[in-house]
Amino acid sequence: MLAVRDGELDALGELFERHHGPLYGYLFKFTGERAAAEDIVQTVFQRMLKYRHTYRDDGSFTAWMYHLARRCAADHFRRAAASPHATDPETLADISDPAPRADQQAAVRDDHELLRAALAQLDREDREVLLLSRFEELSFAEIAGILECSVGAAKVRAHRALHALRQTFFRLQQSRPTAP
Amino acid sequence: MTCHDARQVLPELLDRRTPPTALLEARSHLAACVDCQRDFASLARITTLLDSPPPTAPSTRLRRSFYAMLEEEKHSAASARQVADRQHRAYHLSLWRWVIAPLAACALLAAGFIGGSRFSSAPRSGNPADSETAQRLAELQHKVDSMGQLVGFSLLQQQQRPTNDRLRGIFASTSLEKPTARVVHELISALALDPSAHVRLCALDGLIPHVDQEVVRAGVLACLAREENPLVQISMIDFLATARDGSARSALERITVNETADRSVRDAARLALAQF
Repeated sequence: MLAVRDGELDALGELFERHHGPLYGYLFKFTGERAAAEDIVQTVFQRMLKYRHTYRDDGSFTAWMYHLARRCAADHFRRAAASPHATDPETLADISDPAPRADQQAAVRDDHELLRAALAQLDREDREVLLLSRFEELSFAEIAGILECSVGAAKVRAHRALHALRQTFFRLQQSRPTAP
Repeated sequence: MTCHDARQVLPELLDRRTPPTALLEARSHLAACVDCQRDFASLARITTLLDSPPPTAPSTRLRRSFYAMLEEEKHSAASARQVADRQHRAYHLSLWRWVIAPLAACALLAAGFIGGSRFSSAPRSGNPADSETAQRLAELQHKVDSMGQLVGFSLLQQQQRPTNDRLRGIFASTSLEKPTARVVHELISALALDPSAHVRLCALDGLIPHVDQEVVRAGVLACLAREENPLVQISMIDFLATARDGSARSALERITVNETADRSVRDAARLALAQF
């Protein structure tokens, strides 16, 4: 990123190839939408280019990237909340509802879909800290910096979110209809 | 350690950042407790799912859009660099035009002035060609001076010529740098004999630089006795008073008591006597 800051814009291509996959995975699980995750990844790299002059070599690039991603995701959720939009039929299964419905049960077919549904039922903050805590390359100090809280608070929130996710996951699994 | 305590730290045991040597008590409890192992396994299943990649990979649209954006940024950065270079050049040009060029012109002018004044004022004695040129210039100056005197004589001597010509002769004589005794003599003659008061006044002005010569003071004193124009008389009295010529005292005293003389002339003579 230092090379990008100094004008070698091609170096951003290497960063994209190295990081866009994990970033997309994080945003896909965070937003639950493929198109939104792709848009946010695009916006994150766009902001990297725009604010490359402000990049300082005082932390890890990954932490800076997830910091940008968090801001972009927040913008996404703010826009989504402000403007009404047509619901994608594919995401109907993600709409949280404690009472399992027939269409939801039909949509949740495997573990990934169960996880997606369980994550959607978590609070956004819990989902965020839990997903960030799964990245080995981010220390809890960096996660705390991204979330603007203390290291202890970040750890406690992550552990609590993991327990909550497990509970939701298995509840959804138990309500899944068995195959004929 | 109780099961409750052990289950509190299970997420930390599943965290790959936790070193294997940490939480040994919880690990030993986990090895012995079947319930906690079941709890651990369910959590491990969740974390495995969380760590697995998403079921759908990003579309090719993402990569395409990114590289298109990168290319666009590179172009705009290049054009911004060109604009910055242009502005930089324009700045230097304006700096040259408004600051450096005037300063350089002033410096050149000053250098030319200093060089000219230094090298043209002092004759170069060491160069024979220069000394020869200086000698020739002095000869030419002398010839011009002699020619001017000759013209002055001829103009002064022609009393029958118009007043303007005679005045021009006076001016020509007074403008000479080193007038000869003959020129002074001719000026005194004009002061004594010229019928025009203007010419006589001009001749008197021409004699002022030679006031230290006794012949000039005597000539003016002689002319004063026969002068009838009050303006010329007063000018002559001032001339003699400036010269502090003691021989003029008796003549001035006579004027002060001369009833026929103009009152201003008498006053000027009285004033001149007071200055002696």
